[in-house]
Parts: sequence; structure tokens; C-alpha cells
Amino acid sequence: MTTLNINKKTYNLDLYGNETLLEVLRDNLKLTGTKTACDEAQCGSCTVLIDGKSFLSCITLAKDVEGKEITTIEGLSSEEDLHVIQQAFLDNGAVQCGFCAPGFILSTKALLDKNPSPNLDEIKKSLDGHICRCGGYLKIFDAVKDASKKITNHDT
Amino acid sequence: MTLKNKDFLNPVGKSVPRIDGRGLVTGQTKYVFDLKLPGMLIGKMLRSPHPHAKIISIDTSKAKKLPGVKAIITAKDTYGIKFGSNEFFFPQTADQQALESDKVRYIGDELGAVAATDEETAEKALKLIDVKYEILPAVFKMMEAIKPTAPQIHNARNNIALILPTNFGNAERALRESDYVREDTFYLPSAAHTCMEPHVCIGQFEAFSDKITLWTSTQAPFKVRETLAKCLKMNLNNVRVIKLAVGGGFGGKLEMLPMDFASCLLSKKAGGYPVKITYSREEEFSFSRRKHPMIYKLKSGVKKDGTLMAISGEVYADGGGYCSYGPTVLAAAMMRILLVYKITNMKITGYRVYTNNPISGAIRGFGGVQSGFAVESHIDMLAEGIGMDPIEFRLKNITTPNMITANKMLLTTNGLKECIEKAAEACDWKNKRGKQKNIKRGFGIGIAADVMGSKMYKSHESAGSIIKIEEDASICFLTGAADTGQGSNTALSQIAAQELGVSYERIKITSADTGITPFDTGSFASRVTFISGNATKLAAHDAKMQILKVVSQEKNIPINDLSLVAEEVINKKDSSVLMTFEKAIELCYSFNYGQQIIGRGSYNPKTTPVDFRTGEGNVSGSYGFEAQIAKVEVNTETGEIKVLKMWDAHDIGKAINPQSVRGQIEGSLFMGIGYTLSENLQFKNGRVVNANFANYRLPRSANACPVESILIETNDPEGPFGAKGMGEAALLPTAAAIANAVYDAIGVRIKDLPITPDKVLAALKSQHD
Repeated sequence: MTTLNINKKTYNLDLYGNETLLEVLRDNLKLTGTKTACDEAQCGSCTVLIDGKSFLSCITLAKDVEGKEITTIEGLSSEEDLHVIQQAFLDNGAVQCGFCAPGFILSTKALLDKNPSPNLDEIKKSLDGHICRCGGYLKIFDAVKDASKKITNHDT
Repeated sequence: MTLKNKDFLNPVGKSVPRIDGRGLVTGQTKYVFDLKLPGMLIGKMLRSPHPHAKIISIDTSKAKKLPGVKAIITAKDTYGIKFGSNEFFFPQTADQQALESDKVRYIGDELGAVAATDEETAEKALKLIDVKYEILPAVFKMMEAIKPTAPQIHNARNNIALILPTNFGNAERALRESDYVREDTFYLPSAAHTCMEPHVCIGQFEAFSDKITLWTSTQAPFKVRETLAKCLKMNLNNVRVIKLAVGGGFGGKLEMLPMDFASCLLSKKAGGYPVKITYSREEEFSFSRRKHPMIYKLKSGVKKDGTLMAISGEVYADGGGYCSYGPTVLAAAMMRILLVYKITNMKITGYRVYTNNPISGAIRGFGGVQSGFAVESHIDMLAEGIGMDPIEFRLKNITTPNMITANKMLLTTNGLKECIEKAAEACDWKNKRGKQKNIKRGFGIGIAADVMGSKMYKSHESAGSIIKIEEDASICFLTGAADTGQGSNTALSQIAAQELGVSYERIKITSADTGITPFDTGSFASRVTFISGNATKLAAHDAKMQILKVVSQEKNIPINDLSLVAEEVINKKDSSVLMTFEKAIELCYSFNYGQQIIGRGSYNPKTTPVDFRTGEGNVSGSYGFEAQIAKVEVNTETGEIKVLKMWDAHDIGKAINPQSVRGQIEGSLFMGIGYTLSENLQFKNGRVVNANFANYRLPRSANACPVESILIETNDPEGPFGAKGMGEAALLPTAAAIANAVYDAIGVRIKDLPITPDKVLAALKSQHD
């Protein structure tokens, strides 16, 4: 039995042991907000947070993250309120088809948790593992800066 | 209902949030990729490993016996019907079967499919199918394919599927009368759409109703339905194609693919269980659709005073194994030249060539990207030949408002002059261009024009919308238009709310379900805002008049004196408010009236038929224009090119949602930067050799340069609230703008994309030698 802590809920799963976290999230737990566009660690769409850091769930074995705190896009907001990063992505028009958005949003969360006021180069660097084909990144940078501003204003 | 946001009154021209935004940022939105149905089987396609071979026999007996295998299909299970995306205009281009019966023509050609309880079993079953081939000689280079000695791929002489001539005026004479004539050849590589959501579909057959339902990641559900119904010999209303959220299309999801057909037929054979087929990223790169590699041979002439006398030449497009959208890709590529330049003498012949490469089809820009690079580079060289500034040269030769082009295209609004001037002003062209060679920085320009939905795809190009106003004054809006992420659901809802005179908040949209919504040809040719927008405006107007009729009766005021604006019914005579929108709806549904409000709109753009023997005809109801300037820095030690900034001035008619408009410009532009500098889908003996994101290099965050987009609102008389389409044009001039800037920086001219550091260094070396 594998016990996973996902979005503050505990799941007991009967696994073979070779399942990736991506497969467990999407197939076993129906948490389909986590996407994949390549399944080979090249697009960033499958990003989740593990103990607050961004990881690619397509190359992470589920059994290896037992006991760790896993956050997917479904765990970022409550029913009523969007997370400030999600709101910033919407407000800044950073989302077009939306397929890459969960990955970008979670990597932004990991970045801003560590560095609440990143400069443009730091934003570019931390999001470089993600591919967005629709929008061309500029509005995503705007969203990250906007969220950063709201988070730091809130803190002070 | 309580209305929360005042900005949502009169929403046209405002950057209201995406109507589907919350679902997208919370991961709740469902794509077909995420869909799982009860009892669902997994399907896999049986593909040819050979680029060209005769199919001698297919033995499925061993695979059938494998536990878990539920259905296997081959051509024997089909009607063997041939289809092609341009068959309406060119019947001979219906050259593909859903499953091939006699021959395979590229590596990956589909000849069967399997459905099993899981993916592993389906893959095992594929390996157990014994196909006997007689291998035929194959040809991969189009200039070899057109030789009489080349292997014959279809029943087409010299493997030329189609010759498309564009011939106006007298190009030969005009060239003789020119002061300066030059010839250039440009080479354009293939590229991939790389939608983040791969092609994926689920087919389900219902025996009791003889009905097929197909959930598919598509830009054109009604086009998919048409081809599917044809191949299955079913009525259109027995085939329901449902589009959910789509993770990008870019032209790659415009057609029924064999996988769509196979999932439906497998489901039928498996007793009605749904069958899901999902492409892997490798399949996506290798077997979906790709950009046409093209060769542009241009010969043009100018007068000393800068008058462009003639453009002539030949264009060759490598189509791969089948026609797909090839003919219209080629036609659109040529027509765009006449939209931009006021030339009376043009003679370009286009050849769509069969090879044993994977199928080339539509991709964002529809041939205009290839044409844009070749023509706009060539134009710069012509200007240089007579010592004229490239902007001055363009301003002298561009099309103008209210003109008819040589091929009878009717340009009404045309902001091209303003686009060029505004972009030049924004980048300080006068002071910067040609003056920074010591630091290897350069400025270059490209210009382009685009059609807003053209009748080159089907006999008509119509869209339909329905607006139902419910008893509580909430609104159900049904449109056939397919939002693939560009935000058409939002823009169309804004148009509906604006025309109806209500808040954007009232609207819930259902789009692109052939069983529920009206017909729409799909998301392509930058047509949705313009064509579906007009249909939506008509539907909203119809609904509004139905409401005003009831108010008119009740208040005994002539209907022409009434209007509905920002949630209020107004008597125009004295500007008095008669009642709120909600009260008006209450009245419509009251005991006395019982009047349902169902507005309908159908719009078909005003065009004239295209004569494909000459290229004459007014293909579109409106035309969008744009100018783009690139500022680059070239490292002469490494050959590396860095795009420092791009300026994009775009005649969009009217920005329905300015934020979305800028998003489309930036997205197109970055796709263009990718194609210019790094993207190149490569082949060896018909096989894609870089079928992954590691080796097919897309632009990423680190490559993202600043973009200044300048929106020019020319208020098109035919567009909804003046709007034109704009989803593609910003991709067309990018490559030339960058190549022209590279020339300004280092004085070398690269004529084949992508412009890699290797090519830059080699060109610099030969410049010194």
C-alpha cells in the first residue's frame, strides 16, 4: 500500500510500484488538471509541487513521494476563491488554450514562495522548462509580476 | 440575476475576462485528453513502416486471438471512400482513404486499427498483425519527384497533384520595361504545429439509434462531421461531433484524421463501447500534419523611381503522400502578394507535388508564412537594387483603401500605410536603420495582409448563432464556432451582449457541438471574429427586436422608437427609460404574451467565386493588414541572432477584446520567431528525425523578446462593430522582418530558413572570401 498526501488529503493506493505520479494523479485519482504534452520531461505541463518545489510528475515515481506534501492545480484554490496567481493569470490574459497553464501556475507558486519579488531574468529562468505555444510568454511574465506585487503588498 | 460588474455593460472594446477562464486556471476544464467514459477501450493505429509500398495482404488472425483485443479494422471493413479537404473545388484531390487498401504512401500511412482493454494489449496486437508489402521505390525530394522517371505515387502526372497559375497583366513585358530585375530563390522548411494537447478522440457507436458520437480535439467539428459521414455513409444528423476545450490547433486540427474514423468504426465493431485514441508526442510530430516545405523562385522588376513593375516566378510545395489542404494553402500563399502590393503584372505558377514524406497540410498562416518570407526578403533586395529605403519602397507600392486588386479582390478598409508608418515611427526607423553596423545591430521590416475567412474551403463559408433568453433573463448562447484557445467564446459573447444591449455577465455559451449548435465551418483563416461574429450580431439583433416588439405592443410605442442599451429599454424620442431588460423579459414571458425569445443569425461573407485557373476572385469579406519591424543583434563570432524587440502595427478593424488581440499577436509572432530561428521539422528517407521537444526547438521563456503591438482600428464596414479577423497575420511577416534586420546588421542575406548560427557564419565567411 502506498500512502500519498495530495492537496492535504490522504490517499491509500494499491500500486505496482512503477507508476509515475502523473499516471496516479490522472488515471487513479482523476485529478486531470495535471496535464502532459510530451511524457518525456520536456514541456513542463505535468508540473506539480512536492514539498513546495516544482517537479515533473511524468518522471517522478509515485512510490518515491510517499510522506511528502504534493500539491496539484486542484489544490491551489478553494471552491470560491482563486489563488492570487490564478487570478493574475486570468487578469493578465496569460491563458489561451489553458493546457500548459496548470504547470506554469505551479512553477510560479514555487518561484514566488522562494523569491517573492523576482526580476524578469529570474522569471524567465524559472519558467524556461515550460512550453506555451499559444501565447508567447509575455503575458505570463506580466501575470507573475502582478502576482508578485499582490503577494508582497499583502505581506507588508 | 445580480449583476456585479459595470464594465460588463457595453463590453465590446473592453478586455473583459475570459468567459471560460476560471476552469482553465483551476484545472477543472475538461479536454478530450482528460475524458474517460464507462467501458472505454483504447485504440491504436496500424501504420506503414515503409514510405511507399503495395499492400499485398493483411492477416489479423493472430492479433484477434490475443485476450483483451475487442476489435480490429482494416480497409475491408470500410466503404473505401476517398476524401480530401479541398475536394469541393478540386475533385481529383480526394486521394486519401480512412484506411488504405492498396498502397501506402508515407511512413505512418494508416491501414488498420485495433481496440483493446488497455494500451499495452493494443500495442501487442498491432505487432501480431502480419502485413505483407511489396516495397516500391520512394521519392523524398520534390524537385526529383516532378521528373518523369520518378516513382509514381498517385495517378498524377510527374507527381504534380495540382498546378495553380496566377496570371495577370503581362509580366514578361513589364520585366523588359523595368530598370532593375533580379531573381532569388528561397527555401522554406517544414514545421510542426505542436499543439500542447495532442490529437485525441473518442468514438462511440449507438446501435439502437444507428448514431455515432465523436469527441475530438478539433478546430472544425462540422468539417470532421462532413468527412466522417461521407466515409461511413451516414446522414449528417446521425453523426454528432463534440468539441470540448481544445489545447491548441494552429491548423493541425482542421480535418478528420483516420484516427477519428477508426475510433468510431472500432466502437461499432466492439459492440458500442467507446474507443479512445490518443497520439503520443512522437506520433504528433510524425503522423499528424505539417507545414509544406516550399521553394520560391522569384523574378521581379522595378523602375528607378521605385515602381514595382512585375512579380513572377514559380512556387513548389512538398505535399507529402496526400493532398489534405495543399491546394488552398498554395492558392492563399499567392493571393496574399496581391493583397499587399498594387501590382498589375504578376505571373506565378504554383505546383503542389506528391512525395513519400508525411502529409503537409494547413498550418497557421496558410502558406502565407512561406510566401511572407520569400516575397518580403525579395522586396527588400529590389529596394536595395535601386538604392531606395525599404519602407519608402513599400509605401510607394502598397495597396490602398477602396481599391480592387488585379485579381478582383475588393479592399474596403486598408490600414497598411498607417501600419507601416506607425511601426516605423515607434522603432525610430529613420535614425536607426543602416546606422548601427559597428555594433552589429539591425532593423528590418516585413509587411503582410490576411484574408478573414475565404470561400476557398467550401461552397459557402457560413456561420450560425442562436441566442435564447430564458425566463429569468439569463442568456443561452449557441454558436458553431470552435474555440481552440484563442478566446472566440469570449469575443463572440461580447458581441452578443453588446448588440443585445445587456451585460456580458448574463451570457453562458455552448459552442461547437454538431448535435446542438448551428453550423460553422470552423476556426481557420482568421474567420471567427468576422464571420461567426457577424452571425452572432445578427442573432442578438433578432432577439432584441423580438423583445422590443413585445414592449412596443405593451406600451403602444412604435418599435422603431425603441432601443435596448446597457440593460435598459429606451424610448429614443424622449430618451426616457421605459423599463429594465429584466422587466422586459418578464413581460415577454407573462400570461398575456408568453413569447419565447429565440434569436437566430446566419452569415455568409460577400465574396465572388475564385477562378483557380487564373487566381481571380474576391475570396474574403474583409482583409486585415499589418507591418512588423524587428530589431536584432548578431554575434559575428558565434553566428547567434538575438531578437531584441519586435514592433507590430496591425489593422484589426476594431479590437473586440484588446487583451485577447494582443495575445493573438504575441502568440503568432513568437511562432514566427521560432520558424525563423530554430524550428525545422527534419526528415531522413521520409521519417521525421526530430520528433520531440528536445530536438525540435520551440521558443521558450528565455527567447521571449519584448513586443510593442500597435492596434490600428480602421472600422471595417462589413465587420461586427468594425472588427476584422487577426489570428494569423502577425505570423506572416516575422521571418522576413528578422532576415531583413540581419542583413541590415551584418550585410549577409540568408535565403533559407531557419537562420541558424551555422548559416550566419558560413555567409559571413563567404562574404569575406
